Amino acid sequence: MKRRALLLCVVILIQLFVTGCWSRRELNDLAIAVGIGIDKIGDQYQVSAQVVLPSQIAGSKGGSPQSPVNLYKATGNTVYEALRKITTLSPRKIYISHLRILVLGEDLAKEGISSVLDFMSRDTDTRNDYFIVVAKDTKAEDTLKILTSLEKIPAVRLFSSLETSEKQWAPTSTVTLGTLITELVSKGKNPVLTGVVINGNVDVGQTQKNVETVDSPTELKYSGLAVFKEDKLIGWLNPEESKVYNYLTNKVKSTVFYIQCPEGKKVSLDVFEAHSKIKGSMHNDNPEISIEQHIESDIGEVQCRNLDLTNPKTITELEQIANHKVVHLFETTIKKVQQEFKSDIFGFGEVIHRSNPQAWKKLKDNWDQTFVNLPVSVKTDIKIRQLGKVTNSFLEEMK
Amino acid sequence: MLEKGKLSTRQLTILVMLLTIGDSILVIPPSTTHYARQNAWISTLIGMVIGLLAIYMYSRFIKLYPKLTLIEAIQKAFGKWLGTVLSLMTLMFFLIVTVGSMREVSDFVIAEMLPGTPIPPILTLFILIVIMATRLGIEVLGRTGEIFTPMIIILFLILTVAIVPQMDIVRILPILEDGIKPVLRGSISITAYTFLEPVVFLMVLPYVSQQQKITKGLLLGCLLGGTIIFLTLTVSILVLGPDLTTRDIYPSYNIARRISIGGFFERVEALIALQWMLTLFIKVTLFFYAFILGLSQLLKLKEYRVLTLPTGLILVSLAPIIAPNFTYYNTVFDNYWVYYVITFGLVLPLVLLGVAMFRRALSKDLKSQN
Repeated sequence: MKRRALLLCVVILIQLFVTGCWSRRELNDLAIAVGIGIDKIGDQYQVSAQVVLPSQIAGSKGGSPQSPVNLYKATGNTVYEALRKITTLSPRKIYISHLRILVLGEDLAKEGISSVLDFMSRDTDTRNDYFIVVAKDTKAEDTLKILTSLEKIPAVRLFSSLETSEKQWAPTSTVTLGTLITELVSKGKNPVLTGVVINGNVDVGQTQKNVETVDSPTELKYSGLAVFKEDKLIGWLNPEESKVYNYLTNKVKSTVFYIQCPEGKKVSLDVFEAHSKIKGSMHNDNPEISIEQHIESDIGEVQCRNLDLTNPKTITELEQIANHKVVHLFETTIKKVQQEFKSDIFGFGEVIHRSNPQAWKKLKDNWDQTFVNLPVSVKTDIKIRQLGKVTNSFLEEMK
Repeated sequence: MLEKGKLSTRQLTILVMLLTIGDSILVIPPSTTHYARQNAWISTLIGMVIGLLAIYMYSRFIKLYPKLTLIEAIQKAFGKWLGTVLSLMTLMFFLIVTVGSMREVSDFVIAEMLPGTPIPPILTLFILIVIMATRLGIEVLGRTGEIFTPMIIILFLILTVAIVPQMDIVRILPILEDGIKPVLRGSISITAYTFLEPVVFLMVLPYVSQQQKITKGLLLGCLLGGTIIFLTLTVSILVLGPDLTTRDIYPSYNIARRISIGGFFERVEALIALQWMLTLFIKVTLFFYAFILGLSQLLKLKEYRVLTLPTGLILVSLAPIIAPNFTYYNTVFDNYWVYYVITFGLVLPLVLLGVAMFRRALSKDLKSQN
């Protein structure tokens, strides 16, 4: 009897522990931040958090129309401090496990991004499933203010559109924290981040007006890639050059480019598979890189009038024109990055590291200098496969 | 007889496998990768080979000290005074490993899953189950291991397969770029921590029902456990790369966080953590049991169950004290623990074997003289 009573007491006491209530965080004590922006003001960090208002997202019977998100910002000596300071403005503590986008201000990027990244990698609440972008010609907090249609939460829109544009058009690059840190640490590759711009007026962008009209006055747009040397932003690539980066790093899933047919008008090729093989080798203590790019494409659009697509010779001709164009594009971009930016964003250093580890030991400390004059040979192998639904364009008949 | 239960060979294999996985699956990747970088997978293979040799040595133990547990064997080999001293030291070893593993449990839970919760409540819950398992005996533990195994295997497979899209083979290249030395240095910690801990089974071997199949059982368990550790480490390097594996405190948890299938099978890391909780439980219980049983044998008690509750209490109080912070614990682990385990996992059994063989040779000599 005594033993049973004791057992009962123990069981009841255990219930105090098993509910996991010790350090509970109730859902309505959390402000779920989907977007974080970090700017540098003087030597202080300004952290802005785009927080979801659940009442506006769930259910369609909202009372007065309110914005689906709120922006809270605070300034502090460190990122962690600034984030906690936000509680002086927000009724809840910021919860960043559901983060979708991290926007770094351009000023911060020029000074160096590594100081803010440690917090993101150390905090237990953060994960690896959000993207990092740089705000171009604007402050990071402004990019989080713009309301978007089709996707109520702007940060989610930033996330989806970065992912989609990388898959479909390829001038943008999705970068997660793990990749960024690995590239920052690596001596053979420098990181890139995609740039986000605001087209239009920020003040109009944060109001409901932005989503009321058919043509939104203010829009968030992704531009080319930001080139980093060590952890500092040194320049931007235009969309064409950004595509070359994506080709070389095997990130292109699908894209479109045009070539000129013999009569001068344009043919669009729809790339559905792209694969690049980069080989490194050493010749007399000098590293060399050779690139082989394979592209599989279909004819997407024909604007030429005299193009006979039923003739295999035409296809071969078009392939040759495409090869010339792409080789030229690769070579000019690589040269520009080598000479203007002097930063190995393509990872040629890592290629040499893998192919000639002994030689890399000597090269790795001044790789960025060796990179400037690195001989790179490019070979492309573009194949045109399908034609779409029709063979020759009707333009041919329209004489 | 203090222990009336019997272990089947399969249960022995399973327990060895789960002990080998233990908490190594969580803490070994950063430690090994720190030295061996992307070649840490080779370190694992080296460790496994040494582990198999050690297991072979343990199996010789049965022939020379039949039906005796480690503590009883020490007393037989070294007599009353030296034997008692050595037994106490061995028991201390078991106790410290138990506390260390419990500290691992609480560190992991606090760092990743329940931040803000203090150590004692987490460990109290944990130790209550351990005490219950110990009181019920080794046979119950073996059966529990059998029940856990399918779940552990399935969770492990989910983790490994679901993360394949995020693997990149280039992260494991170049192979052996700095030669074999860093790989060997990396294999020291993995050998000691993962593969020499089955020494605890020397306390349990007399209770295996089929004595002649012990060697096979132990070897198979070591092989299976080693394979899982090897796969975990290789996956770590393939997904995170050597740099992130070293820097993360629990890289396997990080990998579990990255699982994302079809956009809906996400955020399943707690499920994978369940697997680690189970293997950690087996490890703590085995060492706890070894300590209790050994102490009872040393003190010639009739019943070992009385010791469980007080020891549990002591452990829960010890766990927060053994290291003031994580860095201290890590430094001790990396630099000193290794040699501690080698002493008791390798040197002690070797010495015991040596003494037994010497005695045998001596008695044969005497017999032949008569």
